[in-house]
Amino acid sequence: MTVRTRLREVAVVRRDNHSDRILLGTMLALSGFGLLMIFSATRATGTFSMERQMIFVAAGLIIYMLASNIDYREYRVIVPIVSVVTLLLLLAVFLFDPINNVRRWIPLGFFNFQPAEFAKVVVIVVLAGLLAPASRDDYEGPRTLSWKKVGQAMAIVVIPGVLIYRQPDLGTTLVFGFILVSMLFVSGATWRQMVTILIGTVAGVVAVFQFDLLNDYQMNRLRTLFDPNIDPQGLGYQLAQSKNAIGSGQIFGKGVLREGTLTYFEYVPEQENDFIFTAVGEQLGFVGGVLVLAAFAVIVWRLLVIAANARDRFGALIASGVAAMIMFHVMVNVGMTIGIMPVTGLPLPFLSQGGSFYMAMTLALGIANSVWLLRTPVPGQNQLT
Amino acid sequence: MKFAVRLSVLGLAFVALFSVLGLRLWFVQVAEGPAIARAAEEQTWIQKTAHAPRGEIFDREGRTLATSRFVPAVVIDRTFVQPDEKDTLIQRISALLGMPASEIEHAYEEAGINGRFQVATVSNDVAYQVSEQLDQLPGVEIAKVPERVYLSGPTLAHVIGHLGLPNQADLEEIPDLDPTLRIGKLGVERVYDEFLQGTSGVLEYRVRRGEIIDQRPSVEPVPGHSIQLTLDLQLQQLVELALEDGIALSNSEKEKNRAEGEDVFNETQRAAAVVLDVNTFDVLALASFPDFDPQLFVTGIDEDTFAALNDSRAFNNLAVSGQYPPASTFKAITYTVFEEENLPFPAEIEGVDPATREVNCDGQLVLPNLADGSPQEKNDWYFPRDLGWMNIHGALENSCNIFFWNIGLGTWQAYQGEPRETVLQDWAKSLGYGAETGVDLANEAQGVVPTRALFEEWAELQRQNPDIRLLDSSRLDLASPFLGGDLMDFAIGQGAFVATPLQVAVSYAALANGGSVMEPRVVERILDPSGDLVEEVGTRLVRSIPISEETRRALLQDLNRVVTSGTASSAFEDFGEGLDQVGGKTGTGQSSANRDNHAWFVGVAPIDNPQYVVAVVIEEGGSGGGIAAPVARRILQALMGNELTPIDFGQEAD
Repeated sequence: MTVRTRLREVAVVRRDNHSDRILLGTMLALSGFGLLMIFSATRATGTFSMERQMIFVAAGLIIYMLASNIDYREYRVIVPIVSVVTLLLLLAVFLFDPINNVRRWIPLGFFNFQPAEFAKVVVIVVLAGLLAPASRDDYEGPRTLSWKKVGQAMAIVVIPGVLIYRQPDLGTTLVFGFILVSMLFVSGATWRQMVTILIGTVAGVVAVFQFDLLNDYQMNRLRTLFDPNIDPQGLGYQLAQSKNAIGSGQIFGKGVLREGTLTYFEYVPEQENDFIFTAVGEQLGFVGGVLVLAAFAVIVWRLLVIAANARDRFGALIASGVAAMIMFHVMVNVGMTIGIMPVTGLPLPFLSQGGSFYMAMTLALGIANSVWLLRTPVPGQNQLT
Repeated sequence: MKFAVRLSVLGLAFVALFSVLGLRLWFVQVAEGPAIARAAEEQTWIQKTAHAPRGEIFDREGRTLATSRFVPAVVIDRTFVQPDEKDTLIQRISALLGMPASEIEHAYEEAGINGRFQVATVSNDVAYQVSEQLDQLPGVEIAKVPERVYLSGPTLAHVIGHLGLPNQADLEEIPDLDPTLRIGKLGVERVYDEFLQGTSGVLEYRVRRGEIIDQRPSVEPVPGHSIQLTLDLQLQQLVELALEDGIALSNSEKEKNRAEGEDVFNETQRAAAVVLDVNTFDVLALASFPDFDPQLFVTGIDEDTFAALNDSRAFNNLAVSGQYPPASTFKAITYTVFEEENLPFPAEIEGVDPATREVNCDGQLVLPNLADGSPQEKNDWYFPRDLGWMNIHGALENSCNIFFWNIGLGTWQAYQGEPRETVLQDWAKSLGYGAETGVDLANEAQGVVPTRALFEEWAELQRQNPDIRLLDSSRLDLASPFLGGDLMDFAIGQGAFVATPLQVAVSYAALANGGSVMEPRVVERILDPSGDLVEEVGTRLVRSIPISEETRRALLQDLNRVVTSGTASSAFEDFGEGLDQVGGKTGTGQSSANRDNHAWFVGVAPIDNPQYVVAVVIEEGGSGGGIAAPVARRILQALMGNELTPIDFGQEAD
């Protein structure tokens, strides 16, 4: 079998079917808006950062189209190989010199590849594969999850989670947790199982504090949330300036690309990366901030709609997992900039500067779109072919 | 639960999360927004402060005592330092300035993001070296900063005072104080700080990526006003040298006494002196020993030096904060009250003749009426000598305690329990004892004038808290803790009575000028930087006490007899011309056990038309006639234009 025929086999047959245009449109709008915000936050050094991000956006859109056109059900087959490759990549980051004291990246010359971002998508697909019934019979069978499956699901998350935690990247580890809980819930975990997981989580958190498993800097990040004076020149400063920038935007903002803003003076460290929302809040105010939140709400809503209309439980779980991932990123990232979440280093999807993260997000939406294209009943098809 | 329901529940949870974000955004941007916006705008302006040079300090003849010069300083402006340049920068500055990197790093962190701080003032050579390498030192500037220079060294240290960075208490008192600007901590530098300080200049600018892109109009620093003291540098130098000689004399006498087997407790280390203008209450000289060099504080004193000076109490201005029993110097006041108030002699005491108002100064006072009826003997300082019968004039000249004890006892017997019981203390208080004199110097002590009311207050405090030891505990059981003996002690300046050298000088000045008590002044006038008058610092009349001219003249004559034929006659032997125009009183203050006596002398000159009062105390120095009188004599010689003679031991006399 040639590659060509194989590709034809896995490609989705379009017929009268369309991509989820609201999802795509919102994603494109946020991406374009993100480029503008990155420019506004980095224009002191010219257009380099924005141009670089444009390349990532272009690459991301290609990934989105490819993923949309691959039948997501094929992933069930290749999941073991992808998982192994992902774990190897997560191990590979430890071979390279740390950047800013953390080992998250594999330098590829033109950009630093961050496997953890893609690991999020892989974990979603693997969990979906595990939790979705393997056959029609299962599907019709009992809707509850066995304890065994819950255990397996946790094991799947813990392995990459620990590796990423060691980079260290607490934020991404927490994303895994949120994805796991959300997916277990939609795939039918009983209340007892949910409560058990919650108790386990609480016990885990207690253990982390009790045995001092958090790094000093992670502890500081948590403490700084409650008392910004702990580190007035580092994190405390960053959080204070972030709140200053957003708050000073007031209702309508100071105007995009206006001079004299805190964004203009680069007062917020990392304002083109994790703190890109400060550029939004300061320049476009409450109105702009709410519109951006609304755009994310639309994406999450579309993903849940895709989940509801998926052909099978595997696709539905993928879409729900992607929704949970984006929700968590938005919650923690925006919450951090306005002082209700600790600094965990999670970027804002489609807006924050960064290649791996952007492409991982478009990959996730592309896969979700593939679920949408193969939904049931697709116009002109019978249900559950 | 159906799958669709589970999805809906998840969706609802997500809606809740979005709502939390939206509400918080509303709170930050709409509710708090306007306040945050103002603060955010202001913080983008970086303030570059230029401290003003402090005003000058002159003596009464216009000699410069303290001035300001501009010296180069290395300043780091963090706005222009990229985070990755910080460590290299600190290493380089550390090497160039020879300062520990940790110290610079600490100041760097203290300054805060976008902060500016002065690393150190440097020599011209170092400034040149740094300026040569400025292109490798991002954010570094060579600034010209004003620095205090004290031209008179330790001379006048306690009057001029010193500078220091504001401490926590200063910052709490004056909230808009610049924590990097040294302020006056002691003396005139502190009391007149608001005049001397000037106004800092400020330049405000905004920086983006290490470039100034916006600037507000700059405000130039305004130099501080200058201050002219009432003190005379030459006289001050003479007074300080005389005090040092007096301390040395006291220590050599102690050596002798120790060799002869007498009790000597401590080495003499401290002394103070005041020269006051009798008519204007201008302080002409004011010295305290040990002293310090105020220049040590200009760039920051090191801890060991500070601790050593502080332990020796070098920062205490003993002339205004040292409290000693005024001892026999107080007899001049008792004398005046006795004459003016016609105080009665005691009844039933041997050796007292109320008719002639004479007392037998035979060296022992016998008190018959103790509680158990047994007689008690009080020895006078000259016992076993016998000075014979004396009137008030001879008693002052020879410092006869028996005479003055009898004044105290007579007053007690006559007025005990009546308002007039405190006639002596009331006079003392109106002459300035027991309260601050109001001199324009910091940390002035009040002294203590013991009365029945005060002792009852103390007794009450001690009953409530037995750890306080104000009175002998046996007194707590008495009907009143204040006794006749206390008033007798008060009449000779002893007991619980303590006063500062300046208080003693003030009381003598008032007696000499006919009863005017004024607030002493160390500052004559305030001048602007070009030397024009801003404000005359006039003395304030506190009160006028009616003292008859007769008593005043008699007292002055008797004070003269102290130096010609009395307790200070040896010390004044070599005074030279015009001995008839100087007078004074010796004093030997007894303090607690294990301490030597404090030597006092208070001089007045000229007798016909008093102009100067000189008060000298040598802490634990020994006898007033022996140690303090020769020191005061040398100062009086200078004031009267006489040739100065060496400070030698006078005579053992209270």
